[in-house]
Amino acid sequence: MLTTNYPETSSAGYVQRALALAMVTLLFVASSPAQNKIDVTTMSVEDLMNMQVTSVSKRTQKVADAAAAIFVLTQEDIRRSGAASIPEALRLVPGVQVARIDENKWAISSRGFNGRFANKLLVLIDGRSVYTPLFSGVYWNAQDVMLEDVDRIEVIRGPGATLWGANAVNGVINIITKSAKATQSALVAAGGGTEMQGFSTLRYGGRLNKATAFRGYAKYFTVAASNDPLGRAANDNWNSLRGGFRGDWTPDGPDSLTFQGDLYRSRFGETLTVPSLDAPYSSTFPNRGRISGGNVLGRWTHTFGLSSTSLQMYFDNTNISDNSLFTDRQNIFDIDFQHTIHVSDWQQFIWGIGYRSIADRNNSSFVVSLLPDHSRLNEVSGFAQDEISLFDKRLQLTIGSKLEHNDFTGLEVEPNARILWNITPNQSVWTAVSRAVRTPALTERGLQLISAVIPPGGPGNPTPLPVEATVFGSNQFKSEDLLAYEAGYRVQLTSNLSADIATFYNFYTHLRTAEPGAPFLEVNPAPMHLVAPFVAQNKMHGGTYGAELFADWRLVPKWKLAGSYSYLQMNLRKDATSLDPTADNPGPSSPRHQFYVRSSLDVFRRLEHDLIVRYVEQLPGFNIPSYYSVDTHFTYKLPSRIELSVGSRNLLNKQHLEFVPDFINTSPTKVGRTVYGSITWRPE
Amino acid sequence: MRRLGLMIAIVAMLTASTAHDVHSQDVSASSEYLIKAGFIYNFANLVQWPASTFPQPDSPIVIAILGQDHFGTTLDRVLEGKKVNGRPFVIKRLKTVSELLKSVAELKDYQILFISSSEMPRLAETIQIVKSIPVLTIGEAPGFAKNGGMINLILEDNRVRFEVNVEAAKEADLNISSRLLALARIVPQGAADGRKAE
Repeated sequence: MLTTNYPETSSAGYVQRALALAMVTLLFVASSPAQNKIDVTTMSVEDLMNMQVTSVSKRTQKVADAAAAIFVLTQEDIRRSGAASIPEALRLVPGVQVARIDENKWAISSRGFNGRFANKLLVLIDGRSVYTPLFSGVYWNAQDVMLEDVDRIEVIRGPGATLWGANAVNGVINIITKSAKATQSALVAAGGGTEMQGFSTLRYGGRLNKATAFRGYAKYFTVAASNDPLGRAANDNWNSLRGGFRGDWTPDGPDSLTFQGDLYRSRFGETLTVPSLDAPYSSTFPNRGRISGGNVLGRWTHTFGLSSTSLQMYFDNTNISDNSLFTDRQNIFDIDFQHTIHVSDWQQFIWGIGYRSIADRNNSSFVVSLLPDHSRLNEVSGFAQDEISLFDKRLQLTIGSKLEHNDFTGLEVEPNARILWNITPNQSVWTAVSRAVRTPALTERGLQLISAVIPPGGPGNPTPLPVEATVFGSNQFKSEDLLAYEAGYRVQLTSNLSADIATFYNFYTHLRTAEPGAPFLEVNPAPMHLVAPFVAQNKMHGGTYGAELFADWRLVPKWKLAGSYSYLQMNLRKDATSLDPTADNPGPSSPRHQFYVRSSLDVFRRLEHDLIVRYVEQLPGFNIPSYYSVDTHFTYKLPSRIELSVGSRNLLNKQHLEFVPDFINTSPTKVGRTVYGSITWRPE
Repeated sequence: MRRLGLMIAIVAMLTASTAHDVHSQDVSASSEYLIKAGFIYNFANLVQWPASTFPQPDSPIVIAILGQDHFGTTLDRVLEGKKVNGRPFVIKRLKTVSELLKSVAELKDYQILFISSSEMPRLAETIQIVKSIPVLTIGEAPGFAKNGGMINLILEDNRVRFEVNVEAAKEADLNISSRLLALARIVPQGAADGRKAE
């Protein structure tokens, strides 16, 4: 259901160089393919029983047909990595930047522009968007699933706007859980460690009749506080409780139904610094917050021959209450219809329409307010896409566009064109051109955020009054635009070695800036002060380019190596009319180089070991040095359907900061060594 | 310009190096059938046929694949040049049960009959034909072993596991090594649904 997209053309010499470099690397990696062929006749029955049928060919098989930079994280990848949360799992996706700000806050983006409020990455869980219209980003501490029930996480870097709509600018993450039919048993898991002090998960799956399967789950965890940059215990401990269900009705015949829902509640802490109008003009204190919500989703699929229709509806409620700052309650209703028409063996046509309603209600504080305090937004969209295969399916053309109407900016058009060429059965190249927009968030239109109060006579304030530096949203704020050129190459060198390179050149216009306005005097609230406004406008533009390489190599049946390298260069410039005092190029928010190498070894029949060495380059703009992290994970499978795991993240214990907060001044905390253990029981 | 030249050279090399591989292996077949091929080789090693099955000491072990062949060229490639107790392998392909019936005279020369999942609807009929002939029946679909097949390769947790119907093998005068049985899941004939295959 989720596939398609993306491209690049390299005009810049740098891109060529990056591509050439990637290919040399690939060639080097691939230089001895002959002896990698497995001779299964030399293997014992035990060895064969241990061999995984999975991924290499299956994954590339499926991914091989997408004219987009797509990457799939399988259930096996997630389980063996020891990841305890979605953000941790996403660290293994090429081209995606993941940084932990504190225990309950992350900055996650694709192809740059990272930040806690990163706004160019669309995230969906089972077809439900978890991208908040509040700031066009994701509350990562509210998004979780039972990781054991995840079937796969599909990540598309680059724009996916034609299928997924506005805001799928730099990438789309699809978290897809297993159908209820695939979780027909009980599962009990519990464990703990130095970071996630305790967790427990419970799932039960069953059948009502031959055609109807269901499951229910509950999950709780509590995470300990870590240290701030000065080594003091921070206040970022948090916990989360959630539960949910899924039912799948798949009778013989053309129709199937899915019905699912979740309820959750997270309580989190942070050390917050807020400005004030009285000396000492700011205060720092431990703050607590709570985020809770629920959702229900229904999907009806009807197939006739090779054509199909799907009707999906969901309702999503999110409540945020950050004690000292802001409370917000949001209800979203979304309905989508999609029709896939199998025109002929060589042509497929997909079209769809959708409607989305967002109701928001919020309460402000001195520091943060959002106007109006309640609002309702409507979005209507339609798309059509044609996929044509030529020359015995060796060439695939995809052309399509989305048309979308929103209350802020009116009509948005998001077309794309893609070509995939299967050069040989085991290698393909693809290229694409697409346009995507990021529509304004509620905050960009109506926010009022006091970012600092400069004391009278302090630096930059010659007046006898305190000066309040305030960020304002604006009803003039427009959509940010992207024109993206992408290209990629995939190759299956042998049945156990495959590689994938994607390159891109993105050109952005109308990026957000904060334009200073004329200061004005404000009497209320007392004491009297000056307000120095910074107003959201669209006065930055520029290009970003980069390359992402992923290779997957099963040296012997029991040992797999995977590696990824991502390169990113951002050259953004303010328009000539911009007066934004911050520097050109927010590029430093995302590392230029990152790579990882992962080893997955089946030590014995029942013992698995995984080792991940990861490197992330420095973020000079934030004064964050580069770092290496080594993660290790062991799983032992007892015959009695019990699985024991132990592991450690950041084994070398180089305590480091990964990121700093933006807009809201919370204390970042250091990532140190953690150890953990868990037990999973799957009774029959 | 030089850089462009370098890139073209690299691309050309890469294309050439992989184009060569296209012929040497069936990349479209998933690793599943490579693993299954490995199992078949091991079974040939760990199953004892009655001496009368082989006319000569170097008579080949004949494997027939019945129904839709998911192996592609994988099995041929894996077994090429391989011998078990001095016996090479010969692989035949039979599209349908009627083809099996036609070659019923040769049937006694077959040692292994791999019954594709596509033939499950006609399993009872197929089992009836080969019954009491010393040919090892291997399947790959749920219910194969309990309905009279001898060894069933099943996918579980992304790995290949196997069930053995010991009774069926005994009836055909085949002796399955205890080493193999130790790793197998033993399935009594007709157990799950309480009905005998007969």
